[in-house]
Amino acid sequence: MDEIKNKPAAGQPIRRPVIDMRGIFKAFYIGTPNQLEILHGISLAVFEGEFISVVGASGSGKSTLMNIIGVLDRPSAGEYYLDGVDISKIADKELSGIRNKKIGFVFQNFNLISRTNALKNVELPMLYGGMPKKQRDERAKQLLKMVEMEDRTNHLPNELSGGQKQRIAIARAMANDPSIILADEPTGALDSYTGRLVMDIFHKLNKEQGKTIVLITHNNELAEETDRILTMKDGNIISQKINPKRTMDDIYRMTGRDPADMKKGGEGK
Amino acid sequence: MLGIIIGISSVITITTLGGIMEKSVTDTYDALGTTLVQIGLHTKPDADRDYFEFSDFISSEMIEEFEKKFEGRVTSVSMSDSVGSGTVRVNRENLSVDIAGVSPGSINGSMTELVKGRYVTEKDMKAYRQVCIISEKQAAKLYGDENPIGKIFTFTYNNLSYDFTVVGVYKSSMSKLMSAMVDMTGQDWDTTIYIPVTTAQLMMYYGDMTSVGYFYYFTFMGNADESVSELAADAVEFFNTRYYRDNDAVEVMSYTAEQELSMFSNMIGIVSMVITIIAGISLLVGGIGVMNIMLVSVTERTREIGVRKALGATNGSIRMQFITESMIICLIGGIIGILLGLLLGNIVGMVIGITAPASVGAIVIAVTFSMAIGVFFGYYPANKAAKYDPIEALRYE
Ligand SMILES: Nc1ncnc2c1ncn2[C@@H]1O[C@H](COP(=O)(O)OP(=O)(O)OP(=O)(O)O)[C@@H](O)[C@H]1O
Ligand SMILES: [Mg+2]
Repeated sequence: MDEIKNKPAAGQPIRRPVIDMRGIFKAFYIGTPNQLEILHGISLAVFEGEFISVVGASGSGKSTLMNIIGVLDRPSAGEYYLDGVDISKIADKELSGIRNKKIGFVFQNFNLISRTNALKNVELPMLYGGMPKKQRDERAKQLLKMVEMEDRTNHLPNELSGGQKQRIAIARAMANDPSIILADEPTGALDSYTGRLVMDIFHKLNKEQGKTIVLITHNNELAEETDRILTMKDGNIISQKINPKRTMDDIYRMTGRDPADMKKGGEGK
Repeated sequence: MLGIIIGISSVITITTLGGIMEKSVTDTYDALGTTLVQIGLHTKPDADRDYFEFSDFISSEMIEEFEKKFEGRVTSVSMSDSVGSGTVRVNRENLSVDIAGVSPGSINGSMTELVKGRYVTEKDMKAYRQVCIISEKQAAKLYGDENPIGKIFTFTYNNLSYDFTVVGVYKSSMSKLMSAMVDMTGQDWDTTIYIPVTTAQLMMYYGDMTSVGYFYYFTFMGNADESVSELAADAVEFFNTRYYRDNDAVEVMSYTAEQELSMFSNMIGIVSMVITIIAGISLLVGGIGVMNIMLVSVTERTREIGVRKALGATNGSIRMQFITESMIICLIGGIIGILLGLLLGNIVGMVIGITAPASVGAIVIAVTFSMAIGVFFGYYPANKAAKYDPIEALRYE
């Protein structure tokens, strides 16, 4: 898999991946001298417009990886370029701005602010981004319409079903039109039917708006629908499977690189 | 919250009451005149007795001498003696009157003003005339619309009936606070009638003229150009060197209106200070209470903080959010406190007869102060929230 990021195809101009990780380690201090290493040198490249999924057993480090991708956390070692920006050179203070503008989080348990209505929840990232009230309002309504929740604008989260909450959470993730959506088991708390609805929204965002999406899931069927499936085990990416339905052209368009080259390392064989 | 309410309401109550008292004090001060001095008997520190004998008293001759000596420096002198109370029969009802003996100068620096007729004169004094000056209220009650001047005012004193001729009518010019305080002590100054002090003493001593013209104290008004305390000191010096040097037990002392008023203000000062301390403690306790509420709120909402951070909230905006909340809690407490304080201040004001206007300054200060408490005590919890690690916060159950 290392080839994905490192080896440029000869003579081809490379489109830089939006998520570009090289040898990422993550260790937690659980009281000195004990140190628990969770990620053991992960390299990963995700190109703009890709919809990838990450699967793997519980505790394999998926969420840990996701937190680093979303700059909620920093790696203990390794390089991470987000949209070409070296995250290690960014001050803690500015990370919040990056999360605000470039990343949209969707959580398994929705994580809506319980005391405010759907509209205010969707407006929140725009508020932190400093958007004026009128524009915020307009855009939030537009986003709620996109997820077909326009008739629930004034509802509080506890007046909504899980699927409805998740749709609002997706609208919120889209608030500042981020290039990357990170979804950590977004269908984990939903039945298969509503899970399907949510998944359709992701597909739509990917196809129609070209959003880069990283989806963590335990549902292999859903994972199969994505462009690429990464499998994690004990803090390593052990395999990568490219969706056979993806045409060579798709891949070439996205990466600007010869798909044959990717496949060689990509499937981890 | 309760602490904030108590604290702010006490602050508002004191400032409201303080306003009332200050106004009354200055009113009283103006009414009394700043140059009023009382010269009174006083036992010497090393005296072998603690009572006055008749021979110790200040005689009218002494006062005359004093007036001569201090001519120009003293504008008027007042000798007075309280006789006690008598009863007046009005419409089959016995009303009590306080009989006060006064001299012509007594009207100056007193809390009364003449509205009709005349005051006690030198001639009244010399002739022991049975004349009196009654109050407006008494006149209205006894004579209705008729002119009270020249009427005969009959009262009983020591089981003897006296007929006095009304020569004047007075009205009290005391500040409302003072009259309220007098009311509370059970006295109503309006029940007082004024008669010549010589006549009064004659009544008291059952007609013994030799006892007339001796006083425990007398008062005088100084010339406004001169320092009152200096004048008072000189007067004391005059009496003590001239008349009391050979008296083993007794001398005179002076009391000025200034002194009395400063005592009064000191009292107000002490009361205000005590309330301020209580207010301060309540505000401190209230502030700590608010801090506690905020700490609980921050902990309960750990996850929310994580979510907000994931959505791009800066530490600063999280801190601001919680400080604002703490400020709002304190502001609500403060507003309730202000309303309560105004209510309390005005209830007390109503009891003593003056309703003070709400002090806008105090309200502005109270609002600002409660917000400041919100910021001060909200800062620590807010900062704690701001510093949460987003992942830890998101994982919080
Ligand atoms: N802050 C932390 N301190 C110590 N250990 C941690 C911390 N965060 C995660 N871990 C450990 O890291 C490992 C990976 O956790 P992670 O949440 O990334 O797993 P996951 O793949 O997302 O699992 P799941 O599918 O159950 O969500 C787990 O063993 C977990 O206990
Ligand atoms: Mg996880």
